[in-house]
Amino acid sequence: MENTIQHLVSPGMSPGEIVKRIRDLDGIAFTSTGMRDAGQSDYKNRHRIFDLVTLAPFYERMGLFSAECHGGARWHVGVMNRRESPFEEIRLLRERMPSVLLQTLIRETNLFGYRPYPKNVIEYVVANVDIDVWRCFSFLNDIRNMRAVAEVVMKRGRLFQPAISFTQADWTTNDYYLGVVREIVDLCGGVDEIILCIKDMAGVGSPERIRSLVSAIKDAYPDLLIQYHRHTTDGLALPALLASAQAGAKILDLEEDSLTRFYGQAPILTAHSYFEESGIKVHLNRAETEKAVQKVREWINHYEWCESPFKGFDHTVTLHKMPGGAFPSSFEQAQKGGFLHRMPAILRVMSLFNKIVKYFDVTPGSQITWVTCSGIVNKYAKEKGESGAKHILDLLTRFVEEKGQDLAAMEPAEQEELLVLFRNAPGDFKNLLLGGYGKLPMGWPAEWVYRSTFGDAWQERMAERKELSPLDTLQDDDLSRIRKDLDDHIGRCASEEEFILYLMHPKDALSMIEFREEFGETPLVLPTNVWREGLKRPGDKVEFELWGKPYCIELVSVGAEYEGEIHVVMRVNNKTRVYTIATPRAKKVEVRLAKGPHQIGAPISGNVWRIGNPARGALKPGDIVHKGEEIANLEAMKMENAILAPFDAQIAEIAVKLNATVQEKQLLFVLKPLS
Amino acid sequence: MGQTIRRLLVANRGVPAVRIMHTCRDRMIPTTAVYSTPDRLALHVFMADSAVSIGEAPPSESYLNSEKMIEAALSTGSNAIHPGWGFLAENSTFAQMVQDAGLIWIGPPPSVIKAMGDKIEAKRLAIRANVPTIPGISGVTEDKQILRWMKDDHIAFPIMIKAAAGGGGKGMVKVESREEIPQALAQARSEAKKSFGDETLLCEKYIERGRHIEVQVVADEHGNVIHLFERECTLQRRNQKIIEEAPSPSLNEDLRNEICFTAVRLMREIGYTTAGTVEFIFDSATKKYYFLEVNTRLQVEHGVTELITGHDIVGLMLDAAEGKPFPFRQTDIHPNRWALEARVNAEDPRTFNPSFGTITRLQVPQGPGVRISQGVYEGAPIPPYYDSLIMLIMTAGADRDDAIRAMDRTLSRNLRVEGVKTLTPLLLSIFRHEDFRKGEFSTRFIEEHMDELVSRFRERDSEDEVLKIAKYVARISALGPQEWM
Repeated sequence: MENTIQHLVSPGMSPGEIVKRIRDLDGIAFTSTGMRDAGQSDYKNRHRIFDLVTLAPFYERMGLFSAECHGGARWHVGVMNRRESPFEEIRLLRERMPSVLLQTLIRETNLFGYRPYPKNVIEYVVANVDIDVWRCFSFLNDIRNMRAVAEVVMKRGRLFQPAISFTQADWTTNDYYLGVVREIVDLCGGVDEIILCIKDMAGVGSPERIRSLVSAIKDAYPDLLIQYHRHTTDGLALPALLASAQAGAKILDLEEDSLTRFYGQAPILTAHSYFEESGIKVHLNRAETEKAVQKVREWINHYEWCESPFKGFDHTVTLHKMPGGAFPSSFEQAQKGGFLHRMPAILRVMSLFNKIVKYFDVTPGSQITWVTCSGIVNKYAKEKGESGAKHILDLLTRFVEEKGQDLAAMEPAEQEELLVLFRNAPGDFKNLLLGGYGKLPMGWPAEWVYRSTFGDAWQERMAERKELSPLDTLQDDDLSRIRKDLDDHIGRCASEEEFILYLMHPKDALSMIEFREEFGETPLVLPTNVWREGLKRPGDKVEFELWGKPYCIELVSVGAEYEGEIHVVMRVNNKTRVYTIATPRAKKVEVRLAKGPHQIGAPISGNVWRIGNPARGALKPGDIVHKGEEIANLEAMKMENAILAPFDAQIAEIAVKLNATVQEKQLLFVLKPLS
Repeated sequence: MGQTIRRLLVANRGVPAVRIMHTCRDRMIPTTAVYSTPDRLALHVFMADSAVSIGEAPPSESYLNSEKMIEAALSTGSNAIHPGWGFLAENSTFAQMVQDAGLIWIGPPPSVIKAMGDKIEAKRLAIRANVPTIPGISGVTEDKQILRWMKDDHIAFPIMIKAAAGGGGKGMVKVESREEIPQALAQARSEAKKSFGDETLLCEKYIERGRHIEVQVVADEHGNVIHLFERECTLQRRNQKIIEEAPSPSLNEDLRNEICFTAVRLMREIGYTTAGTVEFIFDSATKKYYFLEVNTRLQVEHGVTELITGHDIVGLMLDAAEGKPFPFRQTDIHPNRWALEARVNAEDPRTFNPSFGTITRLQVPQGPGVRISQGVYEGAPIPPYYDSLIMLIMTAGADRDDAIRAMDRTLSRNLRVEGVKTLTPLLLSIFRHEDFRKGEFSTRFIEEHMDELVSRFRERDSEDEVLKIAKYVARISALGPQEWM
């Protein structure tokens, strides 16, 4: 086993075949989250594919069940912060580890975004992403919402991995979960073509709780394969993982030991030796895994800047339930927002909040919890100073822990406070209360929550509450119109992949496309230190390959800033080049571009040598012009170009002066159509 | 005249000025360059032995200013002026002023320029020389005239309105319908006035899908009128040529001889001397050709003729101007190559919008069978005031395919122009197009195939890609980690 390459499962196998192989496996298998959740939980998803691909040759030989390398927030952060496309990542990984199942994490109707998408968008996106294992979770455990994803994945012959969102609370009993599993088995037509995931995204399952849950599921569905996904936040990951394996889980999520910090998965080599000692065989090529762990050390130090400012295990996660994936980003937000010192209070408010409105703290629920709770604490602190934060915490503690959430048992003044507590809650929280995401696992929250959120209109709003899944209520999007929007924005035909990025995150996708037009393949070829910090000292160079040819960029000098510009001299493959870089202080010359049908832009760059035409002379705002009438003339390189009125109109504005030099598309006229 | 050229002033800039100076250098004739303010550091200024500032940027104040030109020649001891092409090249008044100032005019007699410059007169002379001409009317001032002529002569749209004094595509407007006539007249008139200082217009039937064939003629003062065969210049955009070749792929031997001798007959008839070109429109469907005009000057595309015949046309112009007889006869001219020319203009290849700016990097193509005629150098600015030609690329080979292969290699691998956009992607796309390769195209080829040509632009090249990466490195090196990261 040590030296043989074993492909337990590989891409192209049918789901049934995969399930059978795992059932027949003597022992357990691992999924490595090193390419996704490890980075998301401890490094804000900043691990670049440039570094991650270095692990692929080892993954190819490690004998993993799968590599979780896609989905979750990695998609969005890739587009927004790393300027990498998830499609490129899949291609690069497939090339280097063709035998490894690639696994994604998808948020049922919310896909790789944060809001419910209509059915046709879900089907379109899922059908166009080349992933083998589709782990799909619902932050409400509303299994109805998984239907569209499940159907497309299963129809494509890929493995569907429905997940139950796990947390440890008085209401999340085995019976509750068995009910959820039953819905899943019904949705998927049995247990032979799926693997069930228990998603312990905050790392809160105590070993015995997990043992009990896995046993209960296995008792009810002996043939159902279970994969346990768990974060390490509470410090109890290894014993809990062992307990799950002993109770019958067949696949566990781990990450390379050298990636391990506090909020991701447990260390893979440690787990391997712990399990083997405990008598559980692990299908893993240890030698190759050690090499992967070692490889990480070559680049992981480039990511210190994106680690969480809040370090160390946190057993109080069992109360506040913040998921591992949200740790670094939430703390970073607190640090940037200057309220890091209020984090203890916020975390405690979160632990009380999740007893008032019951769902699972995982995307988008975790964002709703975070924004709502940090908003409440910050509002109190802003209005009443730091004692305000303490005040609301005390009030909520009394309400939840002493009075059993009985509003009437509170003092009148306190009742009044509670009845405005959620008034400034984010729109997503309101949407959640109104059923926009699906049904809540323990039913709708108490009436006072609606009064608190919606004020006087609470009854009307409650009447709008939807009981159906968003899959059944959302209107299909007009995909061809959205595609045209995108084409219009970028001024060319978008690729299929660009279109899907745009469907998920329109604004960020546009910004990434613009970045890539300007900087090409930079995100894929530059080493991380240069990507982040550039070249620092004269003589520093970066060497890389692009399309099979060697290149070298060497810094010669960086000049001093002068009037918002810095000159950078570099040698690119030995040829000296000077780059003028505008600093944020650079003066921006605003050129108005023509937008929309009523604004007339310059068809070419040139000189506006005539405004109006010889027949009627110069034009001025307020004049009426007729369709086809020449309203200006541009000259460029001695050729004249008449600008004609496209319709009968009144001139609302003339945006250029006579004899001005204009650039292509620059606004010349604003017209007001007649009739 | 029998005068020797002691020093030659080139009344031009850019590619033509540089081209002329090359031959002068061959003959050890010192040269004088002229320059406008924005051209102070231009390539032709460096090439010359001395240079004179002749005024501000607008052509009317500098390169079109006859007095300043003559003054510049006199003040530098130049005894000859070569006008190149464009600007003052076909200005008979200027030619006369040059001669009146006692200088040698490198061009045909002013009277010939004047006659040929007037399209109406040129057409009359052509008819007299028994040269076929396009149906049309002259002295057009209003739409009624045009409509009457169309009715009387059974002419259908499209038609072409042209400046009588025109050339180079300026002051030429194609008209597709009756409604467009007033606007077209106005535009042609205005451009004509601006470019040539003469508003006279004529109107002709537009030959659909015609091909543009011209015959290069050289004539000395001793009665030798010799043709150097034809060129095909059919590929045009906005009535300006962008690709030329010699010989023409549309003619057979009989037609070639006929058209060449027709050109010689006309040039002899009008008393032409020095180098000039007779342009024809060739209707390949009917195999008929019609006289278009005589270009009484050196032409942009003269280089392809030089490549196939081995003769230096600028050199022959100097010989003719000095009164020397040509040392060869018609029967000595034996073209034995196929040559192509591509005009590298600083323009957006999709929209043809001029692209001004600074040429930040220029890698000039080399390799077997390549001739380059440059007007700029790396680091040079491209001012917005003049035409957009920055470089001519010519290739030659034993046959047309050979020449095309060399052109493809040159445009796709060896040429790099950074800082401004150029027509290169479009040119390459045309050279690779099946119809071009088969020799099947018309003057409307580019407009008809634009979308297809654009779709074939080679999108990415690792040299360009690495510059994007370098730009990023420069930026981050200067500014440090970015907020969005």
